[in-house]
Amino acid sequence: MMAADSDMPRVIITGAEVRLGGDDGVAVNGASLALHAGQVTALLGPSGAGKSTLLRAVAGLERLHAGEIRSDGHVWSGPGIHLAPERRRCGVVFQDFALFPHLTAIQNVAFGLRHLSGAARRQRVMESLAAVELTHRARAYPHELSGGEQQRVALARALAPEPAVMLLDEPFSGLDRRLRTDLSAMTLDVLRRSGTASLIITHDADDALASADDIALMERGTIIQSGRPDTLYLAPSSESAARMLGDVEAFASKVENGAAQTPLGDVSARQPQGSAVTVLVRPEGIVIGHSDAQGLPGSIVSRRPAGPVVAMVIELRTGERVTARAPVSHAARTGDTVSLSLDPAFVSVVER
Amino acid sequence: MAIGDTGILRRRITGRAGLHPVWLAAFAGLLCAAPLLAVAWLAVSGPWTDYLAHIAETRLTEFLVNTAIVGLTAALLAGVTGTGTAWLVTRYVFPGRNIFQWMLALPLAMPAYAAAYGWYDLTQGAGPLGGLVPAVHGAFGAGAIFGLVFYPYVYLLARESFSAQSADAYDAARTLGCSPLQAFARTALPMVRPAVAAGLALVVMETLADFGTVSHLGAPTLTVALMRAWAGEGSIPDAARLAMLLVSISFVIFMAERALRRRARQTSASGHVRAFRRHTLSPVAGLATMIACLLPVLMGLVIPAARLGWRAVSTPAATGLADAAVNSLALAGVSGLLAAAIGLGLAYAIRTQRLAGRASARIASMGYGVPGAVAALGVLIIFGSLQGGLDAGWRSLTGSPFPMVLTGSALALVFAYQARFIAAAIGPAESALSRVTPSLDAAARSLGARPLELVRRVHWPLVSSGVALAGLLVFVEVLKELPATMILRPFNMNTLAVTAHNYAADERLGQAALPAVLLVAAALPAMIWIARRITASERTRDAVPPSDAIPGLAE
Repeated sequence: MMAADSDMPRVIITGAEVRLGGDDGVAVNGASLALHAGQVTALLGPSGAGKSTLLRAVAGLERLHAGEIRSDGHVWSGPGIHLAPERRRCGVVFQDFALFPHLTAIQNVAFGLRHLSGAARRQRVMESLAAVELTHRARAYPHELSGGEQQRVALARALAPEPAVMLLDEPFSGLDRRLRTDLSAMTLDVLRRSGTASLIITHDADDALASADDIALMERGTIIQSGRPDTLYLAPSSESAARMLGDVEAFASKVENGAAQTPLGDVSARQPQGSAVTVLVRPEGIVIGHSDAQGLPGSIVSRRPAGPVVAMVIELRTGERVTARAPVSHAARTGDTVSLSLDPAFVSVVER
Repeated sequence: MAIGDTGILRRRITGRAGLHPVWLAAFAGLLCAAPLLAVAWLAVSGPWTDYLAHIAETRLTEFLVNTAIVGLTAALLAGVTGTGTAWLVTRYVFPGRNIFQWMLALPLAMPAYAAAYGWYDLTQGAGPLGGLVPAVHGAFGAGAIFGLVFYPYVYLLARESFSAQSADAYDAARTLGCSPLQAFARTALPMVRPAVAAGLALVVMETLADFGTVSHLGAPTLTVALMRAWAGEGSIPDAARLAMLLVSISFVIFMAERALRRRARQTSASGHVRAFRRHTLSPVAGLATMIACLLPVLMGLVIPAARLGWRAVSTPAATGLADAAVNSLALAGVSGLLAAAIGLGLAYAIRTQRLAGRASARIASMGYGVPGAVAALGVLIIFGSLQGGLDAGWRSLTGSPFPMVLTGSALALVFAYQARFIAAAIGPAESALSRVTPSLDAAARSLGARPLELVRRVHWPLVSSGVALAGLLVFVEVLKELPATMILRPFNMNTLAVTAHNYAADERLGQAALPAVLLVAAALPAMIWIARRITASERTRDAVPPSDAIPGLAE
């Protein structure tokens, strides 16, 4: 176990640029990110954003054309420098798990432990398999394992050599939803206990928000925002950053006298006078009150319950429609007239 | 309700498609297995002569040692050449890579004995290379020749296996502490091993079946002993006993290859494959790689063919070559067409999922492990006893023996060729037919297509090129075939292969050269077409993977 030192990042990526041959062009274009020991960072972004390529660059499977990747003071990738993947101490869980089909679960996990003697190696293998609760399937070949079991073997195999960094490329994408929830919880638990810095690619925003310590949002080859999940949710740096983490109402506006006008009322803005801005409002920030309450009048056009919350589409007097979210127990029904107000905590103003 | 309907529809369609043509094919399939059974029966029940005891005391050890040396030398050379070139074309970009992909398969168009004539002529004392390189002679020489002409079996299967490997496995090995070389040795190589083993098993079976090469280079193997028992001693039962010994060696190789696979699989368990990005080589390394890929093609095909061509133009042509060429093409053509038809029928039989259909196809494919001389011997035994029965009946009616329509006819030859090569036709047809899914049938039928229309408008367009591949594979094999042709050919009917062999046996290589070159010229265009088809990218509509096109050992 390594001491979790969250002050000094385990891995620092600065301005990383990766160009892939052929039609792929520039896959990573000036991405910067820091990974901390004992913390799980979720890398979120649309497909084609360059997430996998960035992960492969950290593992040393792609070369950087510009920028730098360093770890604990050593440069892994940089101008004229490329440390071979086998010397980086990166554990990788591939999207397809990449288990060696000709080796059993035990042999797969032992693959990276050649530096250990027989007994020590065996002990480490069994510990790793125990951590993912798979000791009973130790002698099975990959094709004899279920998808979830394969994922756990891949996790154990990557963790067994005690890597400095764990990189997971959509490790749950091939699994069904129920299994994914269970496995995700187990995986994050195992990762945190191991004390490594972990980067996990996901396309599920809810999953990332619920489980990661940090979130990095990637778009067109760059990290557009990174930080704590709640910060990112409540204070997005741009409209696309906001949309990656969930629904949002966006209103184009202009700053006048320290405020930006929206159909839902004025909100305060720190941007200079006259600058073009977008006002972003999370559905939870539109508070639905009784029609006699103070606020902006509107009528409910549709009401869609989704588990614990309900999404309501409300038509304003101006004819504009907004979506608000309320607890499913909320009394308002389709056709009701309501009054709307804004919760400033869920509102942010970004430059356009 | 809807699900039940589809089930009924599907059952009715496959049931109807599985009517008589399939059973006809299944019958033909079983017929193909008959020669081996006949050989086994005669080996047990036939009269014993002194010949076997004499052989066992004198030369059997020599035959067995030669067989072992020839097989091992061929396996070693073919294994290294085939695996190495397969690795180069799947992982690197170098000048001519796309052409080498299929060109490396072309030595299969070269009959081994023709390569032996060419190389022997080049390297013997008076030849242009005489004294410069060791003469190609004896068991090691024969093994080298087999390695040069049969390595494409290993190349094709290893290439397919390398291309199917996911790059992720290699990358995973790198992140787990392996250098590039270690990653190759610990992941790519073990994963390709079963494919190489399957290729090597074919190489060794071909060397076991050969007669022309080993007899010309003076390395008599078991097949030579078998031919002598038949031709020299005239003892078919003794030949049958030697044949059973030969077949049991084939069988052991077959089982060993199976055992090697065990439970482990070589393909990604998740089914997902991330293709390797090919590494572009520097100009110097690219040139070296190009030469490494050119060398096997030169040595297995171009050099011996060129030598034979030179000898052919500088020697007056022998008479009767035109007839021999017509005979060769006719036999190979008819056998190819017939095998394509039976192969397609058997592929349908497998598709019916009925035990009898599948079993007959499997039994028919066993023939590929049976050397040509053994298949011919089996046909000889079957037709001989049929002729005997007919004679008896005919004599009681007319007082004279029945005309020799069976044993001395081309029919016997075609029968033996089917028994030996039908497996080569089943694989491609089955592969092609696998693209015709039951839901395609159901869709066509629900759109109003009647059964025959279904075959014409849906099945045939999908399977036709696979069937053509099957036919051409058998065409090339029959062209090259020698021992079975020698045993069963009708009196005074010569083929190119037999003509070449007879001249070479008389040490008249000049006269042997032209028929040998003509054989290569006839086989090469077909082989080029085959090679391009089975090395085509998996995305191509008509691609047939080598493991389907190369018979015998695939599941």
